[in-house]
Amino acid sequence: MHLDPFELHRPSTVEETMALARRYSGSFDYLAGGTDLLPNYKMHLNLRPHLIALEDVQELRGHSVDRVGAMTRLGDLERDAAFLRAYPAIAEALREVATPLVRATGTVGGNLFLETRCFFFNQSYFWRQSLGFCLKAEGDRCHVVPQKEKCYATFSGDLAPALMVLDAEAEIHGPDGARRVPVTDLYDARGDGIQRTHLAPGELLVAVHFPTAARARRSAYLKLRVRPSFDFPELGVAASAIFDGETPTELAVAAGGLETYPRRFDDLTQSLVGSPLTDERILDVATRIRGAVRPVHNTFLAPDYRKKMAGVFVRRALTRVREGTAA
Amino acid sequence: MDPVSTEPKLRLLGGRIPYIEGPLKVSGRAEYTDDIKRPGMLVGRLLRSPHAHARIVSIDVTEARQIPGVHAILTGEKYPTQFGVLPITHDETAIAVEKVRYIGDIVAAVAARDEPTAERALAAVRIVYEPLPEYTDPHVSAEKVASPIHSRGLNGTNIQKEVIQHFGDVDAAVASAAHVVRVRGRFAGVTHAFTEPLVTIAESTPDGRLTVWSATQVPHYLHRALSEVLGIPMHRIRVIKPEVGGGFGGKSDPLPHEIACAALALETGRPVKMLFDREDVFLTNHGRHPTENDVRIATDADGRILAYDIEALIDGGAWSSFGTVTTYYNGVLSMGPYRVPNFRYRGRRVYTNKPPSGAMRAHGGTNIRYSIETAIDELAERLNMDPFDLRERNALPPNSTTVNQFRITSTSFVKCLHAARERSGWDGKHRRLPYGRGIGLGCGFYISGSNSPIHFTPKMPQCTVHLKVDMDGGIAVHSMQADIGQGSNTLMAAIVAEVVGVELDRVHVVRVDSDVSPIDIGSYSSRVTFMMGNATRKAGEAMREQLLHAAALLTGYPTERLEVGLERISVKHRPEVGVSYLEALHKAMERTGALLATGSYTSPPMGGDFKGARAGTAPAYSFGAYVAEVDVDVETGEYRVPKVWAAFDCGRALNRLAVEGQIEGSIHMGLGQVMGESMNYRGSRLLNPALLEYKIPMPQQMPEVECLLVGDADPEGPFGAKEAGEGPLIAILPAVGNALYDALGVRFTDLPITPDRVVRGIEQRTAAHRSWKGA
Repeated sequence: MHLDPFELHRPSTVEETMALARRYSGSFDYLAGGTDLLPNYKMHLNLRPHLIALEDVQELRGHSVDRVGAMTRLGDLERDAAFLRAYPAIAEALREVATPLVRATGTVGGNLFLETRCFFFNQSYFWRQSLGFCLKAEGDRCHVVPQKEKCYATFSGDLAPALMVLDAEAEIHGPDGARRVPVTDLYDARGDGIQRTHLAPGELLVAVHFPTAARARRSAYLKLRVRPSFDFPELGVAASAIFDGETPTELAVAAGGLETYPRRFDDLTQSLVGSPLTDERILDVATRIRGAVRPVHNTFLAPDYRKKMAGVFVRRALTRVREGTAA
Repeated sequence: MDPVSTEPKLRLLGGRIPYIEGPLKVSGRAEYTDDIKRPGMLVGRLLRSPHAHARIVSIDVTEARQIPGVHAILTGEKYPTQFGVLPITHDETAIAVEKVRYIGDIVAAVAARDEPTAERALAAVRIVYEPLPEYTDPHVSAEKVASPIHSRGLNGTNIQKEVIQHFGDVDAAVASAAHVVRVRGRFAGVTHAFTEPLVTIAESTPDGRLTVWSATQVPHYLHRALSEVLGIPMHRIRVIKPEVGGGFGGKSDPLPHEIACAALALETGRPVKMLFDREDVFLTNHGRHPTENDVRIATDADGRILAYDIEALIDGGAWSSFGTVTTYYNGVLSMGPYRVPNFRYRGRRVYTNKPPSGAMRAHGGTNIRYSIETAIDELAERLNMDPFDLRERNALPPNSTTVNQFRITSTSFVKCLHAARERSGWDGKHRRLPYGRGIGLGCGFYISGSNSPIHFTPKMPQCTVHLKVDMDGGIAVHSMQADIGQGSNTLMAAIVAEVVGVELDRVHVVRVDSDVSPIDIGSYSSRVTFMMGNATRKAGEAMREQLLHAAALLTGYPTERLEVGLERISVKHRPEVGVSYLEALHKAMERTGALLATGSYTSPPMGGDFKGARAGTAPAYSFGAYVAEVDVDVETGEYRVPKVWAAFDCGRALNRLAVEGQIEGSIHMGLGQVMGESMNYRGSRLLNPALLEYKIPMPQQMPEVECLLVGDADPEGPFGAKEAGEGPLIAILPAVGNALYDALGVRFTDLPITPDRVVRGIEQRTAAHRSWKGA
């Protein structure tokens, strides 16, 4: 397997990046850590002739408890003790991403905008050609849900659910200027495995910001996978809450690894705010979230099992948050 | 009995000998095939079939050939001679002829100046296929089919091989039995996943010779296949085996790409390298067969085994490979470690339109053993007997003959049982750990070298070793025995050093090269330590004799008064009278120059007088008893195996470091088949041809392993040794399965046991087991 040639651009400011994005509109990818993009390129998945490398873009660098630049390497963040203490869910999610080697290169922005994954997409050109190309790359059908005309590739980033339950905000720059949006609203619930975010063409994540209140949250992240390292999540659940005694005044649950986008279940967890977090209430919400999620068979473990485990993991994550125990 | 009492005191053997090539490997200096660069070398690539089963209507390479930088394109018709590892089932060609049989079958080969050019050429090959019905279900393949995958299938079916055996009277035994337990198992296919991908370099030179470097376990069988298919006499072909990064059976067939690469070299007159990527390796497969088996075991009221009644349906994929052997082994490798007085077996291996299955570590002895050990565990429960006691009651005695006439010489199986029981604290744990935690026992039995060489004409030894010493005192060892990482070079050197009486660093193992290496038939069937070890010992003794004669001339004492020490030959009981190794050597060289010595091994005649009687016969057998503990999350079905006690009888362990490494590696590999490894298909299509979605266990999943090497010396093994390469894998699978039963009260008959299956098993537990251990 070889990498086809592409033209590499190395801007050093957001402004230069935006100029390149305008010039090569529709024919480039942003290159962050490359741990996901380049293997996909080797498989000839949606190649673009231009790569805009973000490594030297000043505004995307640096990390503190309040702000994490999009190009922060996961491994660097993993060694930021103050940051990890502030956000247990992120600490737990970080430790479970891929392997130490991948985390040394992979970035926060790359993980948030990780390409969705599917048994029928993450395959060699030969493999996909022999079956018939799918919607997500060069084709016109879905091999997972053949009767549908949308893509069911699964969102497999670990960080997004953790950031969602901490009310993190994304700082986005685009050809038309900058904006801030909650991480929860980055992802498109009405989209699919191809159109999965609300980013406009050329828009770029510059940094993630944390509100002060995020530090008051107890939080946890639990990941289901076949092996204790290397594997993408078959399910990832994050939960957080602020307590007044035994009563949550704020509470959030989010999950990834199940559908085409990670999502927060505010409508289903509302009932937990304002009254003591009992086992019964937790179980009730866990059951409702389990009923709401729609995994499909495009990862290693069967969807009915992942759905069942969504209930178990939500319950465990909320229980952990209640007990205040760290992993 | 002291296991070493039958042998003189040994200096090196029996200790812990680091691999002699270790420093080269860990520093990146060892030379593997891909490290070799030849002047003007081209890139070879293969075009693979996108169809599982189709007739090739036409192939047009005109356009591809015109692409600048393309040196040759070959299709199947140029070398249509069929080959295969077994002489009786030659059904493969280097490149597909007339039809393709699985997604990934090779339809064309190209040699080009670089990889992108080669790929452009392959994309420009125009092929018209006429799709044929696909056969992916082994049950369908076992019936009469419209378009058989091969013409050689049995009576219009896709059955490649059927074995029917009956010894004693199984029906009568079952009728008289107090207990009959039946276990039906289903096993997903698994593959070797060796580290070094398949890779071959071939070069044809103007002197009329062809040289092939290849990552292979069987250089001699490759040598034969190249000669047969390419039509070149063997003496004009030179096969070289550089360092090999693991094989596990996946490099134990002559493979089509090796021949295609050589054909491209002949076509171009240039060196051609063919390096596989991981998907190529998965599609070449030859891994463990997907299998369904059905095992019935009958015992009397005291738990004595009366009969085995076994059926197996084995999914062979597109080619025969070792399949005939596989079909026998799924039956006959159940003849130990217990005494089985009545035995019936029906095994069928069928072709399907999937990547070919073949030999994989503990070939033919793994899946059937899982089912048998599961049944034995179930019998113990019904008999209300401890699983150790039941097994001990049925242990095959040493120096006995099985009902199918296997010759059992040494067995330390009972010692294995005792060691594993004692060290694991079994009696305090079995059925006494809390719900969700469990302990289980599994046992194993394997051949220590197939008694039947695959090629037996002309009749010749299975292994020959040559030694050469010149005045510098260094000993060059030549043999085609193939070290693929298991430490056989180290063992060969250590035996020479031990027997000749020199420091280990005097011994140089010369790279396998058919121009100079005498034949050994390869690294498979766990034969190398036993056969190469005996041959090397004989060669060493022949060399030692020459040195002793020289020392006799120098000292004036007859040879029987002399003894060989380290780098010195001296008079017995008078150590001050003697000569150094070099003095003896130089004296010995006065007449002939450099000294030569040779040793060989041929296994003794054995086996019964019936069809298939030789299958499974071996000069010795290994035995094992493993205990595993499991810790299950009963809600998610995830589990860990924190500790394994591995009692193994490899006779006398000659390099304990290597044996322990084999046991630990085997446990890792066996755990993979239990915990998650599975070649997942949708129809004929392999869904996970990559190491991300093919779930080899991670280091964090490895248990702590306590190796208990309790074997007594084998009477025929070199210095009392038997195999430790494949047998160590077998017992871990049922040990974990039975531990899960102890933890949960659920029998898992199918592999792999993934967390979703654990949850389903708990949910579907029978009423009798619903309150297992207070759950």
